[in-house]
Amino acid sequence: MEKKVLLAEEQPEFGAGFLKALTMSPADVVNLMKDSGIRGRGGAGFPVGFKWELASAAVSEVKFVVCNADEGEPGTFKDRVLLENYSERLIEGMAVAGYSIGSSIGIIYLRAEYSYLMPVINKARERMTANGLLGKNIQNTEYTFDVEIRLGAGAYVCGEETALLESLEGKSGLPRNKPPYPVTSGYQDMPTVVNNVETLCAIPHIVLNGAHWYAELGLGECSGTKLFSVSGDVERPGVYELSMGSPLKELLGLAGAVDVQAVQVGGASGRTVSGSDLDQPLSFKGLPPGGSVIVFNNSVEMMGVLENFMEFFVHESCGQCTPCREGLPQLQRAVQDIVSGDVGSMEELKNYFTLTEVMKATSKCGLGQTAANCFVDIVTGFAEFHHENYQSHRRGSDE
Amino acid sequence: MARRAEEIVTEAVGQFGNSRESIIQILTRVNNELSYVPPEAVSEIAAVTGLTEAEVFSVVSFYSFFSSRPRGRNIIRICSTISCAMAGQGEILQALTDEFGVEPFETTENNRITIETTPCIGLCDQAPAMLVNGEPHVKLTPERACEIVRRLK
Ligand SMILES: Cc1cc2nc3c(=O)[nH]c(=O)nc-3n(C[C@H](O)[C@H](O)[C@H](O)COP(=O)(O)O)c2cc1C
Ligand code: SF4
Ligand code: FES
Repeated sequence: MEKKVLLAEEQPEFGAGFLKALTMSPADVVNLMKDSGIRGRGGAGFPVGFKWELASAAVSEVKFVVCNADEGEPGTFKDRVLLENYSERLIEGMAVAGYSIGSSIGIIYLRAEYSYLMPVINKARERMTANGLLGKNIQNTEYTFDVEIRLGAGAYVCGEETALLESLEGKSGLPRNKPPYPVTSGYQDMPTVVNNVETLCAIPHIVLNGAHWYAELGLGECSGTKLFSVSGDVERPGVYELSMGSPLKELLGLAGAVDVQAVQVGGASGRTVSGSDLDQPLSFKGLPPGGSVIVFNNSVEMMGVLENFMEFFVHESCGQCTPCREGLPQLQRAVQDIVSGDVGSMEELKNYFTLTEVMKATSKCGLGQTAANCFVDIVTGFAEFHHENYQSHRRGSDE
Repeated sequence: MARRAEEIVTEAVGQFGNSRESIIQILTRVNNELSYVPPEAVSEIAAVTGLTEAEVFSVVSFYSFFSSRPRGRNIIRICSTISCAMAGQGEILQALTDEFGVEPFETTENNRITIETTPCIGLCDQAPAMLVNGEPHVKLTPERACEIVRRLK
């Protein structure tokens, strides 16, 4: 169901959620998040209350709240829309996070591609400061909080939270080993909460309206609303806000998709869904609800789409670990071979699928672990094998 | 007249400080103003932050917005990801490379323009899209894209 909260026309006053949080104890704010059932909106879906509880339990003079505004997953632009229109809500959410974990420093990591949004975000910060919502001893309390904005410089992998922290530290964005997790050892080895733009924008609404209200916004077991960026073959591309757990079909109806051959859900690292399978829900248990939804009508050559995605991953792999660095170019070559009919045998094809398993199981970070999803989905569901050689082997194979 | 790299670094250090965590911000200033990061900038940043030149250079080479080779005064980044590709990005790239006589990642002889391709820039709802010196241009046609680039200084 379409349900507008973050994007609602009637918005609570900026700062109201934070002011209310200041009247609660930090532990109560954490509990509120736990009760609301909110999970991270950046893709991985880690429970927010649990993350904040861990960071608040970590003993340290200095802690950080980091906003992940690196939005690099192909096909997503919902964070851009939030930054353009709701930067104050975002900073307010960061202030609430900071208050609940005991941090006075927030950092927004903004992808270089969005550097033109710097003035908008800076202005939001200035307005918050002018209204006494940022700075020293906010509203005459003990609490002090401020935010700064730092730019990335063009690297998809820096959206991965530990790579992002490395980048903030002025290094190449190479994902770290986990554990330790950022909640205990994050930016400059200090306890750090990293949350997505959309997650942080939802926080003030939860503080104002309560955990139960938020939980009820979702369908079934799901909590809250979710923003989806829809592009590709649709009449009305754009950002839509729906109850978490809504079926993909409903979103496609809103955006005006017809003649659907396939939908890429969750970006290049997500899943490729066939046009005959659109009843599935968008949720952490269903189709990946990260936010990117790209629609392909029946005129699209899906193997060409796969080539485009593979090129992306080969370009964006940080090269730190072997399965990802070496596996991706192999898969890229496999796609070209399948298209040109050069995959010699069923055996060879099976080897590529084994490689996808190896990458999933042994890559260091989410990039390498998910990059082969589209290969599996598209080759399985959409590739045509009319090569004679392949045919004869297939007939001769034991399947 | 372009400012010297050292001057830009000094100014950026004044704003961001000289600790390691500032170097991407400092490099961004240099890269934006000079269109690339010259060796003098790497040396200067290494000197003021106490890092080795190799450490600074490895950061320059990691991030795709930074270049250690000179580029044109204007940098065109055309999104090459799927939503833009389906909306005609290929024709736009072709029109630009034809009109300005350069391949992607090359610079025109008068040092005016470098055309690059880049992964999704988050404007897929208004595809095809490009960034010109960081500013977004959307819903492009080959004619409009050429017109925008023609007008650059
Ligand atoms: C390759 C890769 C790219 C990612 N890119 C982003 C991103 O652009 N934005 C984001 O919020 N999370 C991204 N994530 C997820 C982050 O690692 C992290 O889970 C998230 O920022 C946590 O915030 P949340 O719990 O509020 O979602 C990415 C993960 C991987 C593996
Ligand atoms: S999986 Fe890929 S992106 Fe992630 S650390 Fe390994 S090489 Fe880098
Ligand atoms: S695909 Fe081009 S902006 Fe996203």
